Amino acid sequence: MNKAGLMGDGSEGSPALAGLRVVEFTAAMAGPWIGRFLAYCGAEVIRVESKSRPDVVRLYTPPRNPEMGIQPRLSPWFTDWNAGKHFVALDLRQPLAVDLSKRLVARCDLVIENYTAGVMDKLGLGYSELKRVSPELIMLSSSGYGDSGPCKSYVTWGPNIETLSGLSHLSGFPSRARTITQYAHPDAISALHGLVAMLGALDHRRRGGGGQHISLSQYEATVAGIGHVMMEALAHGREPERLGNRSPHAAPHGCYPCQGEDRWCAISVSTDSEWESLCGVLDKPEWLGDPRFTSLAARLEHVEALDAEIEGCTRGCNDYELMESLQRAGVAAGVAQNTEDLFRHDEHLAARGFFEQLEHLQKDRVTATGLPLGLTGTPGHSGRSGAAVGEDNDYVFGTLLGMNRQEIQAAIEAGAIEPADDS
Amino acid sequence: MPTLPGGALSGRRVLELADEKGVYCGKLLADMGADVIKVEPPTGDRTRLFPPLTRTGPDGQESLYFLYMNTSKRGVTLDIHTPEGRSLFTQLARTADLVVETLAPGTLESLELGYESLRRANPRLVLTSITGFGQTGPHRDFRSSDLVASALGGAMTVTGEEEDPPVRLAGTQAHVAASTVAAVSSLIALLASSQRGEGQHVDISVQEVVASVSHICGVGKWLEDGIIPRRRGTGLFASVPSGAYTCRDGSVYLMVNRPLHWTALARWVHEVTGNQEILDPMFEGASSNRQPYRELLDLFLADFTSRFSAEALYREGQSRHIAITPINTAAGVAGDAHLASRGFFEEVVHPTAGRLRYPGAPYRHSETPWRIHRPAPLRGQHNQEIYRDELGLSESKLQALQAGGVI
Repeated sequence: MNKAGLMGDGSEGSPALAGLRVVEFTAAMAGPWIGRFLAYCGAEVIRVESKSRPDVVRLYTPPRNPEMGIQPRLSPWFTDWNAGKHFVALDLRQPLAVDLSKRLVARCDLVIENYTAGVMDKLGLGYSELKRVSPELIMLSSSGYGDSGPCKSYVTWGPNIETLSGLSHLSGFPSRARTITQYAHPDAISALHGLVAMLGALDHRRRGGGGQHISLSQYEATVAGIGHVMMEALAHGREPERLGNRSPHAAPHGCYPCQGEDRWCAISVSTDSEWESLCGVLDKPEWLGDPRFTSLAARLEHVEALDAEIEGCTRGCNDYELMESLQRAGVAAGVAQNTEDLFRHDEHLAARGFFEQLEHLQKDRVTATGLPLGLTGTPGHSGRSGAAVGEDNDYVFGTLLGMNRQEIQAAIEAGAIEPADDS
Repeated sequence: MPTLPGGALSGRRVLELADEKGVYCGKLLADMGADVIKVEPPTGDRTRLFPPLTRTGPDGQESLYFLYMNTSKRGVTLDIHTPEGRSLFTQLARTADLVVETLAPGTLESLELGYESLRRANPRLVLTSITGFGQTGPHRDFRSSDLVASALGGAMTVTGEEEDPPVRLAGTQAHVAASTVAAVSSLIALLASSQRGEGQHVDISVQEVVASVSHICGVGKWLEDGIIPRRRGTGLFASVPSGAYTCRDGSVYLMVNRPLHWTALARWVHEVTGNQEILDPMFEGASSNRQPYRELLDLFLADFTSRFSAEALYREGQSRHIAITPINTAAGVAGDAHLASRGFFEEVVHPTAGRLRYPGAPYRHSETPWRIHRPAPLRGQHNQEIYRDELGLSESKLQALQAGGVI
């Protein structure tokens, strides 16, 4: 078990955030992914869950063995967003559970929560309460609409924020009214912004400042990330044009079909010398003299014809070979990779050791997407996954809070601590 | 005063030698109070010309992209390809906590400004490099762009409609995400440096950031079920129902994940349409129970949502705790009463662009308020302040550097 939190000296050779302890009251992705990064960098992260209100991510039925029913420890999402954390189970409707939460918070540096705005206050675990037990506390509250304003208690998931923020309407091909990702882009963007905010507050505290509360609206964080697009509406009262894969600074700039089903290669050409290289690779010397294509301005003006010509060439190409040839000629190009491509065919990601093998309590080992922090001096590492709800009750309540067996048993009988699942 | 008061990072100094890949990283740190010095070539950063521009005024036009991405920074010009430029950069790096750079791998080394050289000048310094593919590996010298990183990182094959080509998101999301991760890593490295007295080199690959963001539930899931995620319109594979649903006057986004949310939605559909089948217990519980019936449930829902205006469905849905949201245009966001009540948009006065509204705080600190400390710098605006007043260069030296094209 990771006891980094008990060492607390941040000595050399240890991970960057060794000695930091974090409590999470979170669900789904936008909150948990924050703790995942902190745990990866050596913080001791304790996540509070409840069996009466299980995280949707735990409602997982193995697709190849549906007869097993819901398997809360096997969800790959749960691994990706929660590896390396400790798990306790508390029924926060019980006063004793609230009291235990406060005792835990008193031993921690950071609190992360992403319940609907106002829920933590109702539970008696709002910032003003927690600040009393831990005056130097840094607490992040992340919610869809933020903690003030007429819509603060509205319910959202990542894709809701994608449409609410304007991202869906502004993205994609002009012919489509909206374009949506399969990966809930705002969840990741919000989690990353939450990390920036918390780490900034931690730096402030370590340099002599105090603790504080941070409130994050996933809606606003997502708008900030497309703020440069939004500026056109704010400055000119004009709806920004939907560009699809095109660019106002480069042409050709698109994702072109290649041999095979759903195989594509993206190409970006900004300069005339890159254009000449592209014509060479596609063996189209005649384009060099074509007045429609001789300058960036001309290529932008005739972009429909340009894209049609290029498509005509790329359809016969193998996607990876085309990428390699263009890159050798100094042209930015890349295969539109899918999940299997990333894992099986991307020799570069493999050479960099991007994917991580993790210890899993039920499956022995599993593979997870890497965390792209690039901390070469203090590399991170993912701890075990596959923990049950309440997996670490004994460590957290016993070792950390110093409760003895009888006290823990009494808290279980009172319904405050929920016993660990052993499924 | 070099240090802006009030922000969480007040007292931290950052040098930004960055193009589109790293400009948002500098903005995040600067709006949180760090003294971010943007180092531009003497001819100016090329993004100063990115369209759309502000309306023509007596003082010329400014790029809206540049104005937004460079708030709260100071700006100097410097040609780091000259010996004097390199020496000035090293002097600046001695006073800094962090350097954020986006040059091709090996470029800083070739200028004798690589991590080892900078570390000799300032052992506590953190150097954060943001490149298309990172500092190592067979593709390290590949050319990149926001589009190419979005493709190779795996985001585009899972964005948009099945029958369309893969497509990228609006507004350089690969670069914005990479910049945000770079800010995270830089802050972690700064915290470690403060404790240990030793900085480090942070190696951010835009491709890896995209892969990470777009595969938050990717590889592990695929290895479990063998299903390669693809573009599938607006509904998400794991959530049933989910997607854009048509109303009388547009559409809304609706997503159900929690069992209770399904129960609330099914009851509401029944109330409005009289549909009995939707109450069938076999649809209850987790989304995986409803997965085989996605098409059928979508038919039930289409009949239901088409009876409402988008606004009515949004408001009543939310009053029933169902995750329904509008599909906002940029104008819809700019005019949103909720954002207005929170004071999200900030007015910024820029010497040539004038007074404009900008998107504001992505997060709010209770004790060290986020704010736009100053408008984006003009080209070389702080040359005198930084080179003469802070580094102590003489006026004649400054003039010589200017005459030599170094600044």
